[in-house]
Amino acid sequence: MGIGKAIVITSGKGGVGKTTTTANIGTGLAMHGYNVVVVDTDIGLRNLDVVMGLENRIVYDIVDVVDGNCRLKQGLIRDKRFDGLYLLPAAQTKDKTAIKPEQMVELVSKLKEEFDYIIIDSPAGIEQGFKNSIAGADEAYIVTTPEISAVRDADRVIGLLEAYGISNPKLIINRIRYDMVKRGDMMNVEDIVDILAIDLLGIIPDDEAIVISTNKGEPVVAEEKPLSAKAYRNICNRILGKEVELLDLENNEGKLSKILKLLFSK
Amino acid sequence: MREGLVSFKGINGGIYINIKDGEFNTILKELENKLEKSIDFFKDAKIIGIKGDSITKEEKNELLNVIKYKYELNITEDLESHFKEDIFEGIEEGMTRFINSTIRSGQVVEYEGNIVIIGDVNPGALIKARGNIVILGSLKGVAHAGVDGNTQAFIAAYDLRPTQLRICSIISRKPDGNMDFIGIPEVARVYNKEIIIEPYLPRK
Repeated sequence: MGIGKAIVITSGKGGVGKTTTTANIGTGLAMHGYNVVVVDTDIGLRNLDVVMGLENRIVYDIVDVVDGNCRLKQGLIRDKRFDGLYLLPAAQTKDKTAIKPEQMVELVSKLKEEFDYIIIDSPAGIEQGFKNSIAGADEAYIVTTPEISAVRDADRVIGLLEAYGISNPKLIINRIRYDMVKRGDMMNVEDIVDILAIDLLGIIPDDEAIVISTNKGEPVVAEEKPLSAKAYRNICNRILGKEVELLDLENNEGKLSKILKLLFSK
Repeated sequence: MREGLVSFKGINGGIYINIKDGEFNTILKELENKLEKSIDFFKDAKIIGIKGDSITKEEKNELLNVIKYKYELNITEDLESHFKEDIFEGIEEGMTRFINSTIRSGQVVEYEGNIVIIGDVNPGALIKARGNIVILGSLKGVAHAGVDGNTQAFIAAYDLRPTQLRICSIISRKPDGNMDFIGIPEVARVYNKEIIIEPYLPRK
């Protein structure tokens, strides 16, 4: 019987790193020994399977499971690289109307019996796909990039989550380019946290290693050297309750003290 | 024939006739049709006047004559004062709604009196009040005060950097380019049909 925590990774804006984050947090938690399933709810435009490197092994998908065409076990794909890590892929030949929120709630409660963490990858937008992905979630992590349009959308989504009963979402700021922040050409962490007014879970620098690892189908978090891998490992540690200082993108070690106060204040 | 140019609206214990833009003859025909259909209802009703932004004075008088003499209905014609009654007057002392949270993009807060928000109003959010709006935080969205006609209503914020300000039917937008936090609270009011922004106290 697992811990059974269901976390949805969402953003509003497309292309900010939800799927990458789902894959890396899922893999990172499995690396700590937990039973994790990553779930793709982007029906019709599925990507999580590609990013996890598991697309060749898909026989059944989430729609098959929910419609009863197969047993849950048959729809789950075991990731052979990490013990306890599974993927439930989305369907590619249907669209987001193929599942209803009530079906998601039922599915998630079944998954909670088997897994410690259920990481749900949400599609972009705020329509049916989004609503499906949050049904059954206990917590939400909002992914944004330091761009005004992404932050606007994130703000909208946080308001919607509050209305749907998911409070205290946490923030992940992705694709930070410290050189641009220093020049004043990019929003900094403090500005973003100030507008969105939610707790910061972590920051991830823009990193070529992510492009490379995505194309290989191997989540970067397992690699030792890349800074983004370190960032994802830090996030996993924080999820597990450990205190970890934020990456100092200037020197690759250390402090942003005001942000720490925000991070650890409850 | 276009229907719907003539409608009857309730206001403070009476009815007024609302006339939309259209051909006068059509309007007259429609009014007569409607009166004839429900003549018993109108005999007992308190008709306060006719409101029509696009009809001329002569046309209005002709309609009034038809109502008074052809259908013999009572019509008091003191519409102006009734409308005045409907405007929210409690901007110095009146009902106020207090909200203690950040208002996010896409959210709308509406109230029939004054609104005080202890929190930020993010871009994409809309605050609408019949009275004043006070934001104890950053106003970066849109605030609309005096929604039903009180031009004395004001908008105040600790950090006034809205996308747009509206008081009554006057709209004003922030200057182009990035605005930094001025450092003091500011108040927006209507002077001479323009929205003017001042520091919260004269000598600041």
